[in-house]
Amino acid sequence: MFNWKNGSLLVVLVGFIVLPFLPFGGKDNLTLLISLFLLASMASSWNILGGYVGHINLGHGAFFGIGSLVTRALWLEYELPILIALAAGALVAAIAALIVGAPALRLRGTYFAIGTLALAEAMRLTVGNVLPRVSRLPGPALRSYDIVPRYYLALAVLAVIVIFTLWLNRSKLGLGMMAVREDEEAARSIGVNVFLHSILAFVMSAFFAGLAGGAFAYFHVGYYPNYTFGPIWTFDAVIIAYVGGVGTPFGPLIGAIFFVLVRDILSANLVNVHLIIFGIVFILIVLLLPGGFTELIDRIRQYVMPDTEPDTGT
Amino acid sequence: MKRIVLVAMLILSVMALGSTSMAQDEGPEFIELGASIPLSGRYAGPAIQVDRGYAMAIEDINEAGGVYVAEYDRQIPLNLTVLDDESDPVKAVENLEDLYSNEDVVVYLGGFGSDMHAAASAVGEVNATPYIGVAFALWDVHQQGFEYLFSPFPKSPELSTAMFEMLSSIEDGPTRVGIIAESTDWGLELTDFWTADAEEFGFEIVAVEEYAPGTQDFSDIILAMQDAEVEIMLSLPNPPDGIALATQMAELDWAPAFSNIIRAPDAPTWIQALGANGDFVAFMPGWHNAMAFEGVDALNEAHVEMMGRPSDPLVGPSYATVQIVAAAIEAAGTLDRDAIRDAIAATELDTVIGTVTFNEDGTGNVPVAILQYQNGTPELVWPAEFATADLVYPAPAFADREPIGGDE
Repeated sequence: MFNWKNGSLLVVLVGFIVLPFLPFGGKDNLTLLISLFLLASMASSWNILGGYVGHINLGHGAFFGIGSLVTRALWLEYELPILIALAAGALVAAIAALIVGAPALRLRGTYFAIGTLALAEAMRLTVGNVLPRVSRLPGPALRSYDIVPRYYLALAVLAVIVIFTLWLNRSKLGLGMMAVREDEEAARSIGVNVFLHSILAFVMSAFFAGLAGGAFAYFHVGYYPNYTFGPIWTFDAVIIAYVGGVGTPFGPLIGAIFFVLVRDILSANLVNVHLIIFGIVFILIVLLLPGGFTELIDRIRQYVMPDTEPDTGT
Repeated sequence: MKRIVLVAMLILSVMALGSTSMAQDEGPEFIELGASIPLSGRYAGPAIQVDRGYAMAIEDINEAGGVYVAEYDRQIPLNLTVLDDESDPVKAVENLEDLYSNEDVVVYLGGFGSDMHAAASAVGEVNATPYIGVAFALWDVHQQGFEYLFSPFPKSPELSTAMFEMLSSIEDGPTRVGIIAESTDWGLELTDFWTADAEEFGFEIVAVEEYAPGTQDFSDIILAMQDAEVEIMLSLPNPPDGIALATQMAELDWAPAFSNIIRAPDAPTWIQALGANGDFVAFMPGWHNAMAFEGVDALNEAHVEMMGRPSDPLVGPSYATVQIVAAAIEAAGTLDRDAIRDAIAATELDTVIGTVTFNEDGTGNVPVAILQYQNGTPELVWPAEFATADLVYPAPAFADREPIGGDE
């Protein structure tokens, strides 16, 4: 169904598609936007489990790492086409989530968060020990490096995740997940299979994180393999999701835009204190807007147009 | 009347065109250089030395009027834009693209840390912009066919060779070598060079023990070294691992006759954490302010004025980097990036770190400094012509060491 929201989304998407052909579509802006798309993809994929089911996964970065590791190896070492490598990376991340999720989802609340964090750290250390050498594109490949296909791949990955989340938001599966988040016992009593919904969300969340990791592997010129398993990928995603609006389809997008803009503006102008200010800004937002920017937008919209539905998706 | 107006218009047009071409001939207001430096995050401590070295050199060059560029027939001052990458390679790539697109930089100056350089130097290659960096000794980065990467800083092969040259100079010196190898790219690379050089210089490798970064218990490794009767211990730990290793060596009372620990002792925290147990360790931070090359005295004076002490180890190489870039721009006579790249490749320049030339792979030919902590002070013990103290060999047993400063 076409409405103003879908129409706006389409306009934004078309804008991003034509951007490389516009005067301000230079390499600097495309590079910045790739970072934005990757962070938004990570936050959106984290949101599937953390926002819709309510399980706080602090090991989300591990699936990003698996995706990047598999994609990079298949693309660079086995010279497979990037799209096949990307799909394989995401699939391996999903399988890993299935294996890990079965025991991990027996844990509850803080224990689940700590368990996933420990697992990701163990994977990061193991990958660092097993693959200690930097992964970089060779000189000739760098001299013919083109940012535009990387940009489109990152954009496509984000678009796929957003479209999936929009579907999830209105689907029976998504409603079941939200029921689990609100009250597991109540959900069980109305016939919702709590474990199945949880593990499905975990696997889907990991699949999309793996896709984002694969896009990163295609984009980045040189990095240590364990870098993509780092906690920063998880914590940035969590911050973005909460600031934008956890459990909403557009919250992670809004959060990512705010995150990248504020980070860049502060780091460019307040070199010595930007991290402290960045932290304070985020604390203030979470305190004053528990529902993130989505809540603020809903409040404004309901003030201006009192008959509209809130966009919380809850 | 019409003719007068026409002539006037022609004269004005010629003047306008003339002034335009004069404005073009004057060139830019500044020569733009760019750097992405980890001013926050895990590398912030040592990276600040790099930032300081760049700033001091640019100030000195600009005070002298800037760099002469033949294309514009005038001296143009340097302008360095530094962006903080927060010790994050992704941010470093963003920063360098930003500097290329918005600041139109003609040369990138490097930041700090092997992983940061690995990402950042690749951007230089993508943008066909010279990237010149110090504070990384990884040789492998230079073996990837990069054309725009340069580094006037000692690399693993030179570190290894210099160490064995110094050890060979000891009369009736030690011969039995043990390597405590960190399982990182630099650790494994250096282990290969140590192994090859040991054989070439007539030493015997009697033990090689590998460990993962973050290891807290080195006791098994130390016992293996003791069993193998190691006299020369070579290692490359990061600071926390290095402090753990040295602490446990003291606890197990294993003081090899000679210890070369690279990287961990570079920071002053080494002696603060270990006291006398950190003494007599040889280390190789890349440069020392007692290496009396041209300009070092002035640099030390300026550093004393600014920081209250002579130049820090990374200030010299960073300062030299800007000297090299300035000389290359002058030699190129233009701000064309490829011409500057060729001029850097052809460098033969006296700098504060000695006479610098570059090899085809972009590695620099620079002197290697070996330092040794003696009574808590980092003394330069090699090259012999600049030494501030003789090498203490063999290292005394831990139980026989005096407290640092002798007043505790």
